[in-house]
Amino acid sequence: MSTAFAHPVTVLIVFATAGTLALAAAVIGALTLTGRGSPGFRRELWLRLGSWCVLLPLMLGPVLAGREYTVLAVTLLGLLCYREYARATGLFRDRVLSAVTVLGILFANFAALDHWYGFFVALWPLTVSLLAVASIPQDRPEGYIQRVGLAVFGYMLFGAGLAHLGYMANDPNYRPIVLMLLTAVALNDVAAFTCGKLMGGPKLLPATSPNKTISGALGAVIVTGTVVVLLGRAIFTGTPMAAWHWLIPFGVLVSVAGQAGDLMLSSIKRDIGIKDMGVVLPGHGGILDRFNSLLLVSPAAFHFIGYFVGWGLGQPVRVITG
Amino acid sequence: MKEWRLRPARDLGLAPAERLRSLSRERGLVGVTLNGLWRRTVRGYLAVAHSLEVEGRENLPAEPPFIMIANHCSHLDALTLAAALRGPAARQAHALAAGEVFFGTDPGAAFSAYAINALPVWRGATTRGALETLRTRLVEDRLVFILFPEGTRSRTGEMGAFQAGLARLVAGTSVPVVPCRIEGAHACWPAAQRLPRAGKLKLRIGPPLVFATTAPDAAGRHAITTACRAAVMALETSNSNEPQPEPSA
Repeated sequence: MSTAFAHPVTVLIVFATAGTLALAAAVIGALTLTGRGSPGFRRELWLRLGSWCVLLPLMLGPVLAGREYTVLAVTLLGLLCYREYARATGLFRDRVLSAVTVLGILFANFAALDHWYGFFVALWPLTVSLLAVASIPQDRPEGYIQRVGLAVFGYMLFGAGLAHLGYMANDPNYRPIVLMLLTAVALNDVAAFTCGKLMGGPKLLPATSPNKTISGALGAVIVTGTVVVLLGRAIFTGTPMAAWHWLIPFGVLVSVAGQAGDLMLSSIKRDIGIKDMGVVLPGHGGILDRFNSLLLVSPAAFHFIGYFVGWGLGQPVRVITG
Repeated sequence: MKEWRLRPARDLGLAPAERLRSLSRERGLVGVTLNGLWRRTVRGYLAVAHSLEVEGRENLPAEPPFIMIANHCSHLDALTLAAALRGPAARQAHALAAGEVFFGTDPGAAFSAYAINALPVWRGATTRGALETLRTRLVEDRLVFILFPEGTRSRTGEMGAFQAGLARLVAGTSVPVVPCRIEGAHACWPAAQRLPRAGKLKLRIGPPLVFATTAPDAAGRHAITTACRAAVMALETSNSNEPQPEPSA
Protein backbone atom coordinates (compact mmCIF):
# COMPACT_ATOMS: atom_id res chain seq x y z
CA MET A 1 0.00 0.00 0.00
CA SER A 2 2.78 2.40 0.91
CA THR A 3 4.49 1.65 -2.45
CA ALA A 4 1.27 2.17 -4.37
CA PHE A 5 0.75 5.61 -2.86
CA ALA A 6 4.44 6.52 -2.62
CA HIS A 7 4.16 9.45 -5.02
CA PRO A 8 2.08 12.48 -4.04
CA VAL A 9 0.68 12.75 -7.61
CA THR A 10 -0.74 9.23 -7.25
CA VAL A 11 -2.47 10.22 -4.01
CA LEU A 12 -3.72 13.43 -5.59
CA ILE A 13 -5.18 11.69 -8.66
CA VAL A 14 -6.85 8.89 -6.70
CA PHE A 15 -8.43 11.31 -4.24
CA ALA A 16 -9.42 13.77 -6.97
CA THR A 17 -11.06 10.94 -8.90
CA ALA A 18 -12.97 9.69 -5.86
CA GLY A 19 -13.94 13.27 -5.04
CA THR A 20 -15.18 13.90 -8.59
CA LEU A 21 -17.34 10.77 -8.46
CA ALA A 22 -18.77 11.79 -5.08
CA LEU A 23 -19.45 15.32 -6.34
CA ALA A 24 -21.13 14.00 -9.51
CA ALA A 25 -23.30 11.68 -7.39
CA ALA A 26 -24.25 14.61 -5.16
CA VAL A 27 -25.16 16.82 -8.14
CA ILE A 28 -27.22 14.12 -9.86
CA GLY A 29 -28.78 13.25 -6.50
CA ALA A 30 -29.75 16.91 -6.04
CA LEU A 31 -31.24 16.99 -9.55
CA THR A 32 -33.25 13.88 -8.74
CA LEU A 33 -34.45 15.21 -5.37
CA THR A 34 -35.47 18.60 -6.75
CA GLY A 35 -37.00 16.97 -9.82
CA ARG A 36 -34.95 19.06 -12.29
CA GLY A 37 -34.24 17.74 -15.75
CA SER A 38 -36.32 15.11 -17.50
CA PRO A 39 -36.44 11.60 -15.96
CA GLY A 40 -34.79 10.24 -19.11
CA PHE A 41 -31.90 12.71 -18.78
CA ARG A 42 -31.44 11.88 -15.08
CA ARG A 43 -31.52 8.16 -15.83
CA GLU A 44 -28.83 8.69 -18.48
CA LEU A 45 -26.70 10.60 -15.94
CA TRP A 46 -27.08 7.85 -13.32
CA LEU A 47 -26.19 5.22 -15.94
CA ARG A 48 -23.05 7.08 -16.91
CA LEU A 49 -22.07 7.57 -13.29
CA GLY A 50 -22.74 3.88 -12.61
CA SER A 51 -20.49 2.91 -15.52
CA TRP A 52 -17.74 5.16 -14.19
CA CYS A 53 -18.09 3.65 -10.70
CA VAL A 54 -17.38 0.23 -12.21
CA LEU A 55 -14.78 1.42 -14.72
CA LEU A 56 -12.61 3.60 -12.50
CA PRO A 57 -11.72 0.90 -9.95
CA LEU A 58 -11.00 -1.42 -12.90
CA MET A 59 -8.68 1.22 -14.40
CA LEU A 60 -7.00 2.57 -11.26
CA GLY A 61 -6.96 -0.70 -9.28
CA PRO A 62 -4.47 -2.61 -11.47
CA VAL A 63 -2.19 0.43 -11.80
CA LEU A 64 -2.04 0.79 -8.03
CA ALA A 65 -1.74 -2.99 -7.50
CA GLY A 66 1.53 -3.33 -9.42
CA ARG A 67 3.46 -3.99 -12.61
CA GLU A 68 1.99 -7.40 -13.46
CA TYR A 69 -1.58 -6.28 -12.80
CA THR A 70 -1.10 -3.22 -15.00
CA VAL A 71 0.21 -5.30 -17.92
CA LEU A 72 -2.61 -7.81 -17.43
CA ALA A 73 -5.24 -5.06 -17.43
CA VAL A 74 -3.76 -3.51 -20.61
CA THR A 75 -3.70 -6.95 -22.26
CA LEU A 76 -7.35 -7.47 -21.43
CA LEU A 77 -8.21 -3.98 -22.65
CA GLY A 78 -6.35 -4.61 -25.92
CA LEU A 79 -8.18 -7.90 -26.51
CA LEU A 80 -11.59 -6.42 -25.72
CA CYS A 81 -10.95 -3.42 -27.98
CA TYR A 82 -9.77 -5.72 -30.76
CA ARG A 83 -12.90 -7.85 -30.39
CA GLU A 84 -15.12 -4.82 -30.91
CA TYR A 85 -13.02 -3.60 -33.84
CA ALA A 86 -12.99 -7.02 -35.51
CA ARG A 87 -16.75 -7.46 -35.15
CA ALA A 88 -17.45 -3.97 -36.46
CA THR A 89 -15.17 -4.27 -39.49
CA GLY A 90 -16.01 -7.91 -40.23
CA LEU A 91 -12.37 -8.96 -39.78
CA PHE A 92 -13.49 -11.55 -37.20
CA ARG A 93 -14.70 -13.78 -40.05
CA ASP A 94 -11.09 -14.22 -41.14
CA ARG A 95 -10.22 -16.70 -38.42
CA VAL A 96 -6.55 -17.06 -39.34
CA LEU A 97 -5.78 -13.34 -39.42
CA SER A 98 -7.86 -12.75 -36.33
CA ALA A 99 -5.94 -15.46 -34.49
CA VAL A 100 -2.57 -14.03 -35.59
CA THR A 101 -3.63 -10.53 -34.50
CA VAL A 102 -4.72 -11.83 -31.09
CA LEU A 103 -1.45 -13.73 -30.82
CA GLY A 104 0.44 -10.54 -31.70
CA ILE A 105 -1.45 -8.62 -29.01
CA LEU A 106 -0.63 -11.33 -26.46
CA PHE A 107 3.05 -11.38 -27.46
CA ALA A 108 3.38 -7.57 -27.36
CA ASN A 109 2.01 -7.58 -23.83
CA PHE A 110 4.17 -10.55 -22.91
CA ALA A 111 7.22 -8.59 -24.06
CA ALA A 112 6.06 -5.77 -21.78
CA LEU A 113 5.61 -8.18 -18.89
CA ASP A 114 9.00 -9.70 -19.56
CA HIS A 115 10.59 -6.25 -19.78
CA TRP A 116 12.25 -7.26 -23.05
CA TYR A 117 12.38 -4.12 -25.17
CA GLY A 118 14.17 -5.82 -28.08
CA PHE A 119 11.32 -8.30 -28.53
CA PHE A 120 8.74 -5.56 -27.91
CA VAL A 121 10.16 -3.57 -30.83
CA ALA A 122 10.77 -6.60 -33.04
CA LEU A 123 7.15 -7.72 -32.73
CA TRP A 124 5.88 -4.86 -34.87
CA PRO A 125 7.60 -5.93 -38.13
CA LEU A 126 7.41 -9.63 -37.23
CA THR A 127 3.66 -9.62 -36.61
CA VAL A 128 2.99 -7.55 -39.70
CA SER A 129 5.08 -9.98 -41.77
CA LEU A 130 3.15 -12.90 -40.31
CA LEU A 131 -0.16 -11.17 -41.01
CA ALA A 132 0.95 -10.56 -44.59
CA VAL A 133 1.62 -14.25 -45.22
CA ALA A 134 -0.80 -16.01 -42.85
CA SER A 135 -3.79 -16.03 -45.18
CA ILE A 136 -1.85 -16.82 -48.37
CA PRO A 137 -2.03 -20.64 -47.96
CA GLN A 138 -5.82 -20.36 -48.17
CA ASP A 139 -5.28 -19.51 -51.85
CA ARG A 140 -7.98 -16.83 -51.69
CA PRO A 141 -6.41 -13.65 -53.10
CA GLU A 142 -9.80 -11.92 -53.33
CA GLY A 143 -10.02 -9.35 -50.55
CA TYR A 144 -6.38 -9.93 -49.54
CA ILE A 145 -5.44 -6.26 -49.20
CA GLN A 146 -8.59 -5.47 -47.23
CA ARG A 147 -8.18 -8.25 -44.68
CA VAL A 148 -4.43 -7.78 -44.23
CA GLY A 149 -4.89 -4.00 -44.04
CA LEU A 150 -7.56 -4.35 -41.37
CA ALA A 151 -5.49 -6.85 -39.40
CA VAL A 152 -2.32 -4.73 -39.49
CA PHE A 153 -4.31 -1.66 -38.42
CA GLY A 154 -5.90 -3.66 -35.59
CA TYR A 155 -2.56 -5.02 -34.40
CA MET A 156 -1.01 -1.57 -34.50
CA LEU A 157 -3.77 0.02 -32.43
CA PHE A 158 -4.60 -2.67 -29.86
CA GLY A 159 -1.33 -4.58 -29.76
CA ALA A 160 1.82 -2.65 -30.62
CA GLY A 161 0.34 0.75 -29.71
CA LEU A 162 -1.66 0.05 -26.58
CA ALA A 163 0.96 -2.32 -25.12
CA HIS A 164 3.16 0.77 -24.57
CA LEU A 165 0.86 1.64 -21.69
CA GLY A 166 1.62 -1.69 -20.02
CA TYR A 167 5.33 -1.40 -20.80
CA MET A 168 5.46 1.81 -18.78
CA ALA A 169 4.85 -0.31 -15.65
CA ASN A 170 8.45 -1.53 -15.88
CA ASP A 171 9.51 1.83 -14.52
CA PRO A 172 9.43 2.11 -10.73
CA ASN A 173 7.86 5.56 -11.14
CA TYR A 174 5.09 4.38 -13.51
CA ARG A 175 2.06 4.86 -11.25
CA PRO A 176 1.76 8.67 -11.32
CA ILE A 177 2.61 8.74 -15.06
CA VAL A 178 0.03 6.13 -16.10
CA LEU A 179 -2.60 7.62 -13.79
CA MET A 180 -1.84 11.06 -15.22
CA LEU A 181 -2.37 9.76 -18.77
CA LEU A 182 -5.62 7.97 -17.82
CA THR A 183 -6.88 11.13 -16.11
CA ALA A 184 -5.71 13.38 -18.94
CA VAL A 185 -7.58 11.49 -21.68
CA ALA A 186 -10.77 11.40 -19.60
CA LEU A 187 -10.43 15.09 -18.80
CA ASN A 188 -9.71 15.79 -22.48
CA ASP A 189 -13.15 14.46 -23.49
CA VAL A 190 -14.92 16.40 -20.75
CA ALA A 191 -13.00 19.61 -21.50
CA ALA A 192 -13.69 19.38 -25.25
CA PHE A 193 -17.39 18.80 -24.57
CA THR A 194 -17.69 21.58 -21.99
CA CYS A 195 -15.65 24.20 -23.89
CA GLY A 196 -17.53 23.37 -27.08
CA LYS A 197 -20.88 23.79 -25.35
CA LEU A 198 -19.87 27.02 -23.60
CA MET A 199 -18.21 28.75 -26.55
CA GLY A 200 -19.85 27.14 -29.58
CA GLY A 201 -18.52 28.35 -32.91
CA PRO A 202 -17.60 26.48 -36.07
CA LYS A 203 -17.49 22.70 -36.19
CA LEU A 204 -14.13 20.96 -36.21
CA LEU A 205 -14.77 18.17 -38.73
CA PRO A 206 -18.54 17.99 -39.22
CA ALA A 207 -18.56 14.97 -41.52
CA THR A 208 -16.43 12.95 -39.12
CA SER A 209 -17.88 14.01 -35.80
CA PRO A 210 -20.78 16.48 -36.03
CA ASN A 211 -20.74 17.53 -32.35
CA LYS A 212 -17.11 18.60 -32.05
CA THR A 213 -16.21 22.27 -32.36
CA ILE A 214 -12.92 24.05 -32.94
CA SER A 215 -13.39 25.91 -29.65
CA GLY A 216 -13.88 22.58 -27.84
CA ALA A 217 -10.72 21.14 -29.36
CA LEU A 218 -8.64 24.20 -28.46
CA GLY A 219 -10.19 24.40 -25.00
CA ALA A 220 -9.29 20.77 -24.39
CA VAL A 221 -5.70 21.41 -25.45
CA ILE A 222 -5.48 24.29 -22.95
CA VAL A 223 -7.23 22.52 -20.04
CA THR A 224 -5.64 19.08 -20.48
CA GLY A 225 -2.31 20.58 -21.45
CA THR A 226 -2.26 22.69 -18.29
CA VAL A 227 -3.13 19.75 -16.05
CA VAL A 228 -0.49 17.55 -17.70
CA VAL A 229 2.13 20.31 -17.41
CA LEU A 230 1.40 20.87 -13.70
CA LEU A 231 1.31 17.16 -12.85
CA GLY A 232 4.34 16.51 -15.09
CA ARG A 233 6.26 19.23 -13.24
CA ALA A 234 5.76 17.24 -10.01
CA ILE A 235 6.34 13.82 -11.58
CA PHE A 236 9.46 14.59 -13.62
CA THR A 237 11.31 16.73 -11.07
CA GLY A 238 15.07 16.40 -11.52
CA THR A 239 14.86 15.16 -15.13
CA PRO A 240 15.15 17.10 -18.41
CA MET A 241 11.38 16.61 -18.85
CA ALA A 242 10.71 18.97 -15.95
CA ALA A 243 11.72 21.95 -18.14
CA TRP A 244 8.71 24.04 -19.20
CA HIS A 245 9.79 24.02 -22.83
CA TRP A 246 9.46 20.20 -22.86
CA LEU A 247 6.48 19.90 -20.55
CA ILE A 248 4.31 22.26 -22.61
CA PRO A 249 4.73 20.38 -25.92
CA PHE A 250 4.18 17.18 -23.96
CA GLY A 251 0.87 18.49 -22.57
CA VAL A 252 -0.21 19.57 -26.05
CA LEU A 253 0.85 16.18 -27.47
CA VAL A 254 -1.25 14.26 -24.92
CA SER A 255 -4.32 16.35 -25.66
CA VAL A 256 -3.91 16.31 -29.44
CA ALA A 257 -3.16 12.56 -29.55
CA GLY A 258 -6.18 11.92 -27.34
CA GLN A 259 -8.46 13.92 -29.61
CA ALA A 260 -6.90 12.33 -32.69
CA GLY A 261 -7.72 8.88 -31.26
CA ASP A 262 -11.31 10.00 -30.74
CA LEU A 263 -11.55 11.32 -34.31
CA MET A 264 -9.92 8.16 -35.63
CA LEU A 265 -12.63 6.00 -34.04
CA SER A 266 -15.29 8.40 -35.31
CA SER A 267 -13.88 7.97 -38.81
CA ILE A 268 -13.99 4.18 -38.46
CA LYS A 269 -17.57 4.27 -37.22
CA ARG A 270 -18.68 6.72 -39.92
CA ASP A 271 -17.04 4.61 -42.61
CA ILE A 272 -18.82 1.47 -41.41
CA GLY A 273 -22.05 3.34 -40.69
CA ILE A 274 -22.51 2.47 -37.01
CA LYS A 275 -23.08 4.69 -33.98
CA ASP A 276 -21.33 2.77 -31.21
CA MET A 277 -18.78 -0.01 -31.25
CA GLY A 278 -20.67 -2.03 -28.65
CA VAL A 279 -23.14 -1.98 -25.80
CA VAL A 280 -20.95 -3.12 -22.91
CA LEU A 281 -20.85 0.18 -21.02
CA PRO A 282 -24.29 1.68 -20.38
CA GLY A 283 -24.26 5.36 -21.31
CA HIS A 284 -20.92 5.08 -23.15
CA GLY A 285 -21.39 2.39 -25.80
CA GLY A 286 -18.55 -0.01 -26.36
CA ILE A 287 -15.19 -0.30 -24.65
CA LEU A 288 -13.53 1.33 -27.66
CA ASP A 289 -15.92 4.28 -27.42
CA ARG A 290 -14.50 4.91 -23.94
CA PHE A 291 -10.83 4.09 -24.50
CA ASN A 292 -10.27 5.38 -28.07
CA SER A 293 -8.22 8.35 -26.82
CA LEU A 294 -5.74 6.09 -25.10
CA LEU A 295 -4.79 4.27 -28.30
CA LEU A 296 -2.60 7.01 -29.76
CA VAL A 297 -1.65 8.68 -26.48
CA SER A 298 0.09 5.54 -25.18
CA PRO A 299 2.85 5.23 -27.80
CA ALA A 300 3.19 9.01 -28.23
CA ALA A 301 3.65 9.66 -24.50
CA PHE A 302 5.85 6.58 -24.09
CA HIS A 303 8.38 7.69 -26.68
CA PHE A 304 8.32 11.35 -25.63
CA ILE A 305 9.07 10.45 -22.02
CA GLY A 306 11.40 7.67 -23.17
CA TYR A 307 13.50 10.18 -25.12
CA PHE A 308 14.06 12.49 -22.14
CA VAL A 309 13.81 10.18 -19.14
CA GLY A 310 13.81 6.55 -20.31
CA TRP A 311 11.71 3.65 -19.03
CA GLY A 312 12.72 1.13 -16.41
CA LEU A 313 16.41 2.00 -16.64
CA GLY A 314 18.41 -0.09 -14.20
CA GLN A 315 15.48 -2.44 -13.64
CA PRO A 316 15.92 -6.19 -14.24
CA VAL A 317 15.22 -7.09 -17.88
CA ARG A 318 13.83 -10.31 -19.39
CA VAL A 319 12.41 -11.25 -16.02
CA ILE A 320 10.58 -14.29 -17.43
CA THR A 321 12.68 -15.45 -20.37
CA GLY A 322 15.90 -14.80 -18.47
CA MET B 1 -8.42 -5.02 -56.61
CA LYS B 2 -12.01 -5.35 -55.49
CA GLU B 3 -13.62 -2.46 -53.69
CA TRP B 4 -13.41 -2.75 -49.89
CA ARG B 5 -16.56 -4.11 -48.36
CA LEU B 6 -16.82 -3.82 -44.59
CA ARG B 7 -19.46 -6.18 -43.25
CA PRO B 8 -20.01 -5.73 -39.50
CA ALA B 9 -21.14 -8.73 -37.49
CA ARG B 10 -24.85 -9.37 -38.05
CA ASP B 11 -25.38 -9.28 -34.29
CA LEU B 12 -23.48 -6.01 -33.70
CA GLY B 13 -25.08 -3.80 -31.06
CA LEU B 14 -27.06 -6.55 -29.32
CA ALA B 15 -26.85 -6.83 -25.53
CA PRO B 16 -25.06 -10.05 -24.42
CA ALA B 17 -28.18 -12.01 -23.37
CA GLU B 18 -30.02 -10.91 -26.48
CA ARG B 19 -27.07 -11.86 -28.66
CA LEU B 20 -26.93 -15.40 -27.29
CA ARG B 21 -30.52 -15.94 -28.40
CA SER B 22 -30.26 -14.10 -31.72
CA LEU B 23 -30.60 -15.94 -35.01
CA SER B 24 -28.07 -13.42 -36.31
CA ARG B 25 -25.41 -14.50 -33.83
CA GLU B 26 -21.99 -14.77 -35.46
CA ARG B 27 -19.10 -16.39 -33.65
CA GLY B 28 -15.64 -15.06 -33.06
CA LEU B 29 -12.45 -16.88 -32.08
CA VAL B 30 -13.78 -17.79 -28.62
CA GLY B 31 -16.94 -19.35 -30.01
CA VAL B 32 -15.07 -21.25 -32.72
CA THR B 33 -12.54 -22.59 -30.22
CA LEU B 34 -15.12 -23.67 -27.64
CA ASN B 35 -17.27 -25.29 -30.29
CA GLY B 36 -14.22 -27.09 -31.71
CA LEU B 37 -13.38 -28.51 -28.28
CA TRP B 38 -17.01 -29.52 -27.75
CA ARG B 39 -17.18 -31.26 -31.14
CA ARG B 40 -14.06 -33.26 -30.47
CA THR B 41 -15.28 -34.23 -27.01
CA VAL B 42 -18.65 -35.33 -28.35
CA ARG B 43 -17.05 -37.24 -31.21
CA GLY B 44 -14.87 -39.11 -28.71
CA TYR B 45 -17.84 -39.79 -26.45
CA LEU B 46 -20.00 -41.10 -29.32
CA ALA B 47 -17.18 -43.37 -30.48
CA VAL B 48 -16.48 -44.78 -27.02
CA ALA B 49 -19.92 -44.97 -25.42
CA HIS B 50 -22.05 -45.54 -28.50
CA SER B 51 -19.65 -47.07 -31.08
CA LEU B 52 -21.17 -44.65 -33.59
CA GLU B 53 -21.27 -46.09 -37.07
CA VAL B 54 -21.79 -43.72 -39.99
CA GLU B 55 -22.94 -45.03 -43.34
CA GLY B 56 -23.27 -43.01 -46.54
CA ARG B 57 -20.88 -40.18 -45.68
CA GLU B 58 -20.16 -39.89 -49.41
CA ASN B 59 -23.69 -38.49 -49.81
CA LEU B 60 -22.76 -35.32 -47.92
CA PRO B 61 -22.35 -32.34 -50.27
CA ALA B 62 -18.72 -31.34 -50.79
CA GLU B 63 -19.22 -27.98 -49.11
CA PRO B 64 -21.85 -25.89 -47.32
CA PRO B 65 -24.55 -24.70 -47.48
CA PHE B 66 -26.82 -27.68 -46.85
CA ILE B 67 -29.39 -28.90 -44.34
CA MET B 68 -29.21 -32.22 -42.51
CA ILE B 69 -32.54 -33.62 -41.38
CA ALA B 70 -33.31 -36.77 -39.43
CA ASN B 71 -35.82 -38.59 -37.28
CA HIS B 72 -35.80 -37.17 -33.74
CA CYS B 73 -36.30 -39.01 -30.48
CA SER B 74 -33.26 -38.09 -28.35
CA HIS B 75 -30.85 -35.30 -27.41
CA LEU B 76 -28.17 -37.54 -28.94
CA ASP B 77 -29.56 -36.90 -32.43
CA ALA B 78 -28.10 -33.44 -33.06
CA LEU B 79 -24.76 -34.52 -31.59
CA THR B 80 -24.73 -37.58 -33.86
CA LEU B 81 -25.45 -35.60 -37.02
CA ALA B 82 -22.82 -32.98 -36.14
CA ALA B 83 -20.27 -35.72 -35.42
CA ALA B 84 -20.61 -37.03 -38.97
CA LEU B 85 -19.37 -33.75 -40.43
CA ARG B 86 -15.77 -32.84 -41.13
CA GLY B 87 -13.85 -29.71 -42.19
CA PRO B 88 -15.69 -26.48 -43.03
CA ALA B 89 -19.09 -28.20 -42.85
CA ALA B 90 -18.40 -29.23 -39.23
CA ARG B 91 -17.31 -25.70 -38.33
CA GLN B 92 -20.31 -24.14 -40.04
CA ALA B 93 -22.87 -26.53 -38.52
CA HIS B 94 -25.64 -24.89 -36.52
CA ALA B 95 -28.24 -27.02 -34.77
CA LEU B 96 -31.71 -25.50 -34.78
CA ALA B 97 -32.79 -26.24 -31.22
CA ALA B 98 -35.94 -25.72 -29.16
CA GLY B 99 -35.61 -22.27 -27.60
CA GLU B 100 -37.60 -23.27 -24.50
CA VAL B 101 -35.27 -26.20 -23.74
CA PHE B 102 -31.86 -24.86 -24.74
CA PHE B 103 -32.14 -21.09 -24.38
CA GLY B 104 -34.49 -20.73 -21.40
CA THR B 105 -31.82 -19.67 -18.88
CA ASP B 106 -28.73 -17.50 -19.45
CA PRO B 107 -26.19 -20.24 -18.55
CA GLY B 108 -28.12 -22.70 -20.75
CA ALA B 109 -28.20 -20.20 -23.59
CA ALA B 110 -24.44 -19.54 -23.22
CA PHE B 111 -23.70 -23.27 -23.38
CA SER B 112 -26.03 -23.81 -26.33
CA ALA B 113 -24.56 -20.86 -28.19
CA TYR B 114 -20.86 -21.32 -27.46
CA ALA B 115 -20.48 -25.12 -27.19
CA ILE B 116 -23.27 -26.64 -29.28
CA ASN B 117 -23.47 -23.68 -31.65
CA ALA B 118 -27.26 -23.92 -31.64
CA LEU B 119 -29.74 -21.35 -32.91
CA PRO B 120 -33.05 -21.10 -31.05
CA VAL B 121 -36.39 -21.92 -32.63
CA TRP B 122 -39.35 -21.05 -30.40
CA ARG B 123 -42.30 -23.41 -30.50
CA GLY B 124 -45.30 -21.88 -32.18
CA ALA B 125 -43.51 -18.53 -32.40
CA THR B 126 -41.36 -18.92 -35.50
CA THR B 127 -42.17 -15.78 -37.42
CA ARG B 128 -41.81 -15.22 -41.12
CA GLY B 129 -38.96 -12.83 -40.27
CA ALA B 130 -37.12 -15.50 -38.29
CA LEU B 131 -37.39 -17.96 -41.18
CA GLU B 132 -36.22 -15.30 -43.60
CA THR B 133 -33.18 -14.61 -41.38
CA LEU B 134 -32.35 -18.31 -41.26
CA ARG B 135 -32.78 -18.64 -45.01
CA THR B 136 -30.57 -15.63 -45.71
CA ARG B 137 -27.86 -16.80 -43.34
CA LEU B 138 -27.96 -20.34 -44.70
CA VAL B 139 -27.17 -19.11 -48.21
CA GLU B 140 -25.06 -15.98 -47.62
CA ASP B 141 -22.99 -17.28 -44.70
CA ARG B 142 -22.78 -20.77 -46.25
CA LEU B 143 -23.97 -22.59 -43.14
CA VAL B 144 -25.03 -26.14 -42.39
CA PHE B 145 -28.29 -26.46 -40.48
CA ILE B 146 -29.04 -29.54 -38.42
CA LEU B 147 -32.77 -29.68 -38.17
CA PHE B 148 -35.45 -32.10 -37.04
CA PRO B 149 -38.62 -31.45 -39.03
CA GLU B 150 -40.80 -33.28 -36.51
CA GLY B 151 -40.26 -30.27 -34.26
CA THR B 152 -39.96 -32.31 -31.06
CA ARG B 153 -38.52 -35.58 -29.80
CA SER B 154 -40.74 -38.58 -30.46
CA ARG B 155 -41.73 -40.16 -27.16
CA THR B 156 -42.25 -43.60 -28.73
CA GLY B 157 -39.32 -43.74 -31.11
CA GLU B 158 -41.70 -43.71 -34.07
CA MET B 159 -41.23 -40.86 -36.53
CA GLY B 160 -43.99 -38.24 -36.39
CA ALA B 161 -45.33 -35.85 -39.01
CA PHE B 162 -42.94 -33.26 -40.52
CA GLN B 163 -43.63 -29.56 -40.03
CA ALA B 164 -43.51 -27.06 -42.88
CA GLY B 165 -40.62 -24.90 -41.58
CA LEU B 166 -38.05 -26.93 -43.48
CA ALA B 167 -39.94 -26.43 -46.73
CA ARG B 168 -40.06 -22.68 -46.14
CA LEU B 169 -36.28 -22.66 -45.77
CA VAL B 170 -35.41 -24.54 -48.95
CA ALA B 171 -38.25 -24.01 -51.43
CA GLY B 172 -36.86 -22.41 -54.58
CA THR B 173 -33.22 -22.55 -53.43
CA SER B 174 -30.41 -24.80 -54.54
CA VAL B 175 -29.55 -25.69 -50.94
CA PRO B 176 -29.47 -29.49 -50.69
CA VAL B 177 -31.40 -31.31 -47.96
CA VAL B 178 -29.56 -34.37 -46.71
CA PRO B 179 -31.91 -36.99 -45.24
CA CYS B 180 -30.47 -39.03 -42.37
CA ARG B 181 -31.72 -41.84 -40.22
CA ILE B 182 -30.51 -42.35 -36.66
CA GLU B 183 -31.00 -45.71 -35.02
CA GLY B 184 -30.42 -46.63 -31.40
CA ALA B 185 -30.80 -43.11 -29.96
CA HIS B 186 -34.22 -43.78 -28.50
CA ALA B 187 -32.91 -46.80 -26.60
CA CYS B 188 -29.85 -44.88 -25.32
CA TRP B 189 -31.50 -41.63 -24.30
CA PRO B 190 -35.26 -41.39 -24.62
CA ALA B 191 -37.02 -38.12 -23.86
CA ALA B 192 -38.18 -39.34 -20.45
CA GLN B 193 -34.66 -40.16 -19.24
CA ARG B 194 -32.37 -37.61 -17.55
CA LEU B 195 -29.03 -38.97 -18.76
CA PRO B 196 -27.90 -41.18 -21.64
CA ARG B 197 -26.74 -44.76 -21.24
CA ALA B 198 -24.19 -46.54 -23.43
CA GLY B 199 -25.45 -48.39 -26.48
CA LYS B 200 -24.98 -48.74 -30.22
CA LEU B 201 -25.78 -45.78 -32.47
CA LYS B 202 -26.06 -45.98 -36.20
CA LEU B 203 -26.36 -43.08 -38.63
CA ARG B 204 -27.31 -43.60 -42.24
CA ILE B 205 -26.91 -40.63 -44.60
CA GLY B 206 -28.98 -40.63 -47.78
CA PRO B 207 -28.50 -38.83 -51.10
CA PRO B 208 -29.35 -35.12 -50.97
CA LEU B 209 -32.59 -33.68 -52.28
CA VAL B 210 -32.73 -30.30 -54.03
CA PHE B 211 -35.87 -28.21 -54.47
CA ALA B 212 -34.59 -25.39 -56.67
CA THR B 213 -37.61 -25.53 -58.98
CA THR B 214 -40.25 -26.15 -56.34
CA ALA B 215 -42.48 -23.10 -55.86
CA PRO B 216 -42.58 -21.69 -52.32
CA ASP B 217 -46.39 -21.97 -52.21
CA ALA B 218 -48.57 -24.32 -50.17
CA ALA B 219 -48.47 -27.10 -52.77
CA GLY B 220 -44.70 -26.79 -53.11
CA ARG B 221 -44.19 -26.86 -49.36
CA HIS B 222 -46.39 -29.93 -49.07
CA ALA B 223 -44.42 -31.66 -51.81
CA ILE B 224 -41.10 -30.84 -50.10
CA THR B 225 -42.31 -31.98 -46.67
CA THR B 226 -43.62 -35.24 -48.11
CA ALA B 227 -40.49 -35.91 -50.15
CA CYS B 228 -38.20 -35.24 -47.19
CA ARG B 229 -40.17 -37.47 -44.83
CA ALA B 230 -40.24 -40.25 -47.41
CA ALA B 231 -36.47 -39.91 -47.88
CA VAL B 232 -35.83 -40.27 -44.13
CA MET B 233 -38.29 -43.19 -43.92
CA ALA B 234 -36.57 -44.92 -46.82
CA LEU B 235 -33.32 -45.04 -44.84
CA GLU B 236 -34.83 -47.24 -42.14
CA THR B 237 -32.92 -50.52 -41.81
CA SER B 238 -35.88 -52.60 -42.92
CA ASN B 239 -36.20 -50.41 -46.03
CA SER B 240 -32.53 -50.19 -46.80
CA ASN B 241 -32.65 -52.80 -49.55
CA GLU B 242 -35.42 -50.98 -51.36
CA PRO B 243 -34.45 -48.52 -54.12
CA GLN B 244 -33.63 -45.06 -52.80
CA PRO B 245 -35.77 -42.15 -54.02
CA GLU B 246 -34.28 -40.27 -56.94
CA PRO B 247 -33.09 -36.83 -55.91
CA SER B 248 -35.37 -34.29 -57.52
CA ALA B 249 -33.92 -31.78 -59.91
